[in-house]
Amino acid sequence: MTSPPIWRLAPGQRLQYRCWDGECVLYNDLSGDTHLLDEFALALLEQLKAGPQAAAQLAAAFELDAQDEDAALQTVLDDLAALFLIEALPC
Amino acid sequence: MTALPLLTRVLRQPPSMAQLGAPEWELLLRQAVATDMGATLALLAEEHGLLQALPAQVRRRLDWERTGWRRHGQAVRFELRQVQHALRTSGLPLILLKGTAYVAAGLPAAAGRLFSDVDILVPKNRLNEVEGLLMAHGWASSHHDAYDQRYYREWMHELPPMQHMRRGTAIDVHHAILPETARVRPDPALLRAGARALPGQPGLFVLAPCDMVLHSAVHLFSEGEYDHGLRDLFDLHRLLCHFGANEPGFWTALPLRARELELTRPLFYALRYCMRVLGTPVPAATVAAAAAGRPNPVLLALMDSLFLRALRPVHPSCAGTLTALSDLMLFIRGNWLRMPPLMLSRHLFQKAFLTPRNVKLDQV
Amino acid sequence: MLTVAALSESALSARLRGPGLRLRTGPFISCIRSSVPALAVALARMYGDYPVLDDDIPADFDVLLRRPRGLRRLVKPQVFFHYDGMEPFQPLPLAQLYPMFEWAMNWCVSSHAHSWLVIHAAVVEKEGAAVILPAPPGSGKSTLCAALVARGWRLLSDELTLVRLDDGRIDPVPRPVSLKNASIDVIRAWAPQAHLSPPVADTMKGTVAHMRPPQASVARADEPASPAWIVFPQWRAGACAELVSVPQARAHLRLAENAFNYSLLGAAGFTTAARLVEATRTFDFSYGALDDAMAVFEGLLAQRR
Repeated sequence: MTSPPIWRLAPGQRLQYRCWDGECVLYNDLSGDTHLLDEFALALLEQLKAGPQAAAQLAAAFELDAQDEDAALQTVLDDLAALFLIEALPC
Repeated sequence: MTALPLLTRVLRQPPSMAQLGAPEWELLLRQAVATDMGATLALLAEEHGLLQALPAQVRRRLDWERTGWRRHGQAVRFELRQVQHALRTSGLPLILLKGTAYVAAGLPAAAGRLFSDVDILVPKNRLNEVEGLLMAHGWASSHHDAYDQRYYREWMHELPPMQHMRRGTAIDVHHAILPETARVRPDPALLRAGARALPGQPGLFVLAPCDMVLHSAVHLFSEGEYDHGLRDLFDLHRLLCHFGANEPGFWTALPLRARELELTRPLFYALRYCMRVLGTPVPAATVAAAAAGRPNPVLLALMDSLFLRALRPVHPSCAGTLTALSDLMLFIRGNWLRMPPLMLSRHLFQKAFLTPRNVKLDQV
Repeated sequence: MLTVAALSESALSARLRGPGLRLRTGPFISCIRSSVPALAVALARMYGDYPVLDDDIPADFDVLLRRPRGLRRLVKPQVFFHYDGMEPFQPLPLAQLYPMFEWAMNWCVSSHAHSWLVIHAAVVEKEGAAVILPAPPGSGKSTLCAALVARGWRLLSDELTLVRLDDGRIDPVPRPVSLKNASIDVIRAWAPQAHLSPPVADTMKGTVAHMRPPQASVARADEPASPAWIVFPQWRAGACAELVSVPQARAHLRLAENAFNYSLLGAAGFTTAARLVEATRTFDFSYGALDDAMAVFEGLLAQRR
């Protein structure tokens, strides 16, 4: 029985990005990669800049309440973690 | 022949860079780039506050070198995070070696230093487990030839280099600092026991100062290839200077630790050539204590002529007629220390004729 | 100012065989050495307008093109490119000496010039506005570049667009424009007054020739330009000349893909590419006929006026 993870911005990520017409390019300070992200993903990252939060808090911040919206949020969080932009805090 | 090459003179006395004219700068840059020390030169100029005094064209050129080095450091730090993540369930302390250690510890030896592999030290009985964890996280073993696999696993002190399939980066997993087959066997358990945690970086360790110096000396004076002889000697010089100034009791402990690890011979050479080529300030008492590693006069004279030649910058301006021969003799000598003579000739034969050529990984 | 054209044949050869010919191309000084006579001939033909320097400024690049020693030189004539004791390329047949020289000069810049974001692209300028033409091989970039230059656009480069990291302006490094295969004849017909080097067949890029840049472009090599457009060209037989907008985020990524040192520059590469995208209008461009293409580019200029 594990509690849901707390997500945080990976330490060292300064979030250098540009957005144009709903698409954003972001420079990954850790890997040196450049990513193409949509505005929602960027907004999520900006939200985490304020401090570590659980998925439920993030859903609330973006007013997501439907089941499929939660699933979509989880997918985005997993994708961002795979890119080393965010990480789940050890419990 | 008696005059030191320009690069060597500058490494001995970095402030002398401020007095160089344009033709000398050209030569210095060529020698540095050929010896993989372009970024080192740039960082030295910065460290000694010389950049503004240099010609704009030179400053710009050095800036190019520094840019590549900064990107390299970022890649090393990122790679370390991945390695740590992959090995976290093993519970093993992650002991870093060589360039990786210099970068993680923020040592002066890291300044301008480029290298292609991450090097770590693990206990021999945990090798398979470590290899398995790395493979589970995307690293694959190179050297698929059955002979090379055996060479590494039975005779060498490390796994065959592993390469990350997506990132293309390489990691060398060592269990000792000299091979099983070498004449001297510095006890890896002693090295691991002396390893020091890095402040602010939980889980990361580097060898104790004496051990770091001795490992560098072993690496230089028993490796097969001397392409980077001067660069590796400069590493030693910087390590000695840094620890000499910052680590209490370092100069006394160094020869004692060398004896404990059976590394008195490499220490003798390290101090001798650092002092002669780079003017490292080693206290007389340490030199005296290190004399235990001195070879007989005939051998010493031979080694002097070989090493002093091999430790020149790798550039056509520094190549004498004997260089190719001395490099070959040193290659043989290097491998002889690592493998007994009979096995050596068989190994060289196999490597030359049976193994497909390997390509060295790019650095950045 | 001493130029290559002002040197006698023997003086040029003496420099190449001896201390090196020190040539300035845009922001770079190259020290070129070779004892192969064909290089002196090629440089005299293609680099007449370029400044020749003395050794009071350190050269950035050291380019040595030499033949192998010993009996091998008789059997299969080859040439090697040496750089600071390394050989970055495989040796090539001696007949390819001049193209090899041009490729070596490109390699020097693309591998080292980290004061700029170096994009694999042509860049030309007119009326104070520069258009950048990035493209992988086969897109028709070089033909388009040569055609524009022949119609009065200033050549900044046919292969290496140098975007300053500090202010985003483009520094010229004008050198002979490389052409291959069919485009050689196309440009010969398009610009009969242009000076082309003798075509060299069977190179790894096919048949290759170079067009000497206009003297005016070489003379203005110290004059940076401000970027106004990024145009990704794609030649297709029979296609209409058409510009299609590229979304900026995509343009950023495509610039990054086409830049030699984007990743090496780290954050500076990112901000330079982003600034470039923000300062320009970015398009895909398909075309089939050069006349149509010229009209489109003149149209871009007209919109700006």
